Amino acid sequence: MASTEEWLPLSMTVDRRLVCSRVRPRHLLSDVLREHAGATGVHIGCGQGICGACTVVIDGVPARACLMLAVQAEGCRIQTVASLAELEGNPVGPEGLTRLQTAFRQHHALQCGFCTPGLLVSTAVFLARNAAPSRDAIVDHLNGHLCRCTGYANIIAAIESLAR
Amino acid sequence: MAARDFRLTPSPFRYARPSNLNEAVTLLRDRHTDIRILAGGQSLIPLLAQRIVRPHLVIDINRIADLDQIVPCHDHIRMGALVRQEQARVSSVVRTEVPGLSEALDWVASPVIRARGTVVGNLVANAPGTELPAVALALGARFVVRDTRGERQVDAAELLGLGCRLAPDALVTQVLWPRNPGRGGFYEVARRLGHAPVVGAMVSIGSDRCRVGLCGVAAVGLACPTVADALYRRFPAAPDLAEIDRLLARDLREPAFGTDFVGAEYRRRVAPVVIQRALASAAAAGAGRH
Repeated sequence: MASTEEWLPLSMTVDRRLVCSRVRPRHLLSDVLREHAGATGVHIGCGQGICGACTVVIDGVPARACLMLAVQAEGCRIQTVASLAELEGNPVGPEGLTRLQTAFRQHHALQCGFCTPGLLVSTAVFLARNAAPSRDAIVDHLNGHLCRCTGYANIIAAIESLAR
Repeated sequence: MAARDFRLTPSPFRYARPSNLNEAVTLLRDRHTDIRILAGGQSLIPLLAQRIVRPHLVIDINRIADLDQIVPCHDHIRMGALVRQEQARVSSVVRTEVPGLSEALDWVASPVIRARGTVVGNLVANAPGTELPAVALALGARFVVRDTRGERQVDAAELLGLGCRLAPDALVTQVLWPRNPGRGGFYEVARRLGHAPVVGAMVSIGSDRCRVGLCGVAAVGLACPTVADALYRRFPAAPDLAEIDRLLARDLREPAFGTDFVGAEYRRRVAPVVIQRALASAAAAGAGRH
């Protein structure tokens, strides 16, 4: 079976860079972004859509990279955490951090940092759509992201500090 | 890089990306092959990655045109197989014409999953205890099913009932929701927000009658006409828990359902409370969670 497995051409834009590669149909986008495109900001936590660490933005819409086949990304524009400034629509500050990264640092919204790239990416899109979300809306938004350091209170505080 | 470097990778399969429905159903005609349809992938890809399913062929329907539309028709709302859950959730025509559905979608999964997962895919996956199949059964939704012989409509119960499944050579292209303006409410008890509910209830109060759907008490969704009739007669007053409990006993036609985490007895016990809260949410002018 494996010997007859096909390779399919794939070209996509990852953080403004055109990536051309060949993939098996069964390869997941999360793996291909890391291994073929060098996008190591895509963290693979659970590999089955629960934790949200691999969240990227595909043609403007946040998605779990582990819940897409790589071949489905043919012709797509993908933004990972490396495109965070672009997603936020703000230039990076003097310390090389975006507005959202600065808020996360100020509020101690990360400990080990494994869940952080996915959180930053989907929160940037969330705030771009709704600049003044309620606390309830923030909590609802966070329900797709697991933080095993249990830093939710500080993550909520960081996002709330920008929500006005 | 070798494929074995990947930690969770599906078994090998062939991949097809048809550009129209004729091509898709022609591929499906190969009855000797285990085939899966890929729409949003939010149910299918975890099953592939854990190798719970090992199809020979995956047919990706995402590039088929016109399946991503929500179209108001004479007496129903037509929703294509690529309409995303979030797209349906925020649709104003769905919120006004199909009360109960938008409110249920408020509780389905999490925002990023809803942005990609489709309404039809969630229904066809029919995972035990999930929200949307119960809503489709209670609201009398119909499916448009397509195979090489043509197109036909089937009742939700024919696809979502106990032991029912879609023929292997067929594809659901649309779901049709009867138009029934009024108020809708949904409530659920879940172990964790955004995960499958333990028990959930939808109440939809239209001009002619009320409809109640219940998930998590049986392995499939349940329409509860006896409870619904009583709610309609008494609205805006509400029957007490003991009365809902008695009425519900008449609507429980399927075997009880329980899991290792939450047994059947608890589910049956909490159901009247969940129905009462869904009713209260419908009475509060169908406002969602926010």
